[in-house]
Amino acid sequence: MNTMTEKESLRIIHEMIATSKGNLKDNSFFYLLWGWLVLIASLSHFILEQFKYDQPYLVWPLLMGTGAVVSVIAGIRIGKKAKVVTLVDRSIMYLWWSFLVVIMIVLLMASLQKISWVGSNVLIMSMYGLGTFVSGGLLKFKPLMIGGIAAWILALVALFVDPSWVMLLIAASIIIAYLVPGYMLKSKEVK
Amino acid sequence: MFKDLDPLLHNQLRLSIISLLIGVESAEFNFLLEKTGATRGNLSVQINKLKEASYIDVKKGFRNNYPLTTCKITPVGIDAFEKYVEAISGYLRKED
Repeated sequence: MNTMTEKESLRIIHEMIATSKGNLKDNSFFYLLWGWLVLIASLSHFILEQFKYDQPYLVWPLLMGTGAVVSVIAGIRIGKKAKVVTLVDRSIMYLWWSFLVVIMIVLLMASLQKISWVGSNVLIMSMYGLGTFVSGGLLKFKPLMIGGIAAWILALVALFVDPSWVMLLIAASIIIAYLVPGYMLKSKEVK
Repeated sequence: MFKDLDPLLHNQLRLSIISLLIGVESAEFNFLLEKTGATRGNLSVQINKLKEASYIDVKKGFRNNYPLTTCKITPVGIDAFEKYVEAISGYLRKED
């Protein structure tokens, strides 16, 4: 048993390090879930507004609440299945928990009319740009990083357009920042 | 020939375990079992040896009523692994 040559030792080290790193986890689920929920919410909001519906924003708490419940359940399930935890997994988890807290603070500020709804939308778009960009960097997955940058650019655009268009900008940014990279991540995992 | 090599690490299975743990925060017994292809018994024995030398931390607990063992490399283990890799590289250079 102890007759390994130095070359064999190196081969074992390389092989084992390669198997434990770069295990792209099934993260795509969350991008797709939130991507579709935000896309449906922003488009419904836009359409309801066009039809002069009184409270078009009501779709948000409904769909986002659903998303939060599904995410918590899925998060616990995936966490239970994970046999190995890397620093990257933990960093991403803390990143999105902080994201959730900051979003809550922004929404509270908007409800108390401390900031405008356009302002809160711009902040939220910038925030998910941040989450996506950092996750992409940690996972070394460029489409997510590009998605994050796109979300920032669209957040800036939202500052200068008519407020009624902001919902369409959110829809566009969620497609670029969540749905496209989400599906790319998913197809990568299958391979 | 290998007198400078840490005997605890100069063993296929123990070296595999440490190499797997070096890149992650923590790993379950079953993950190590799957990746090393060792038998349960042998893996347990080698994990205990590494634990006794403080190269790894072993936590035993339960999940859904099943026993769950989680392993984590310690700073002592990281240090030993780095020294081992250095020694191996030294031998390879001598050969050239």
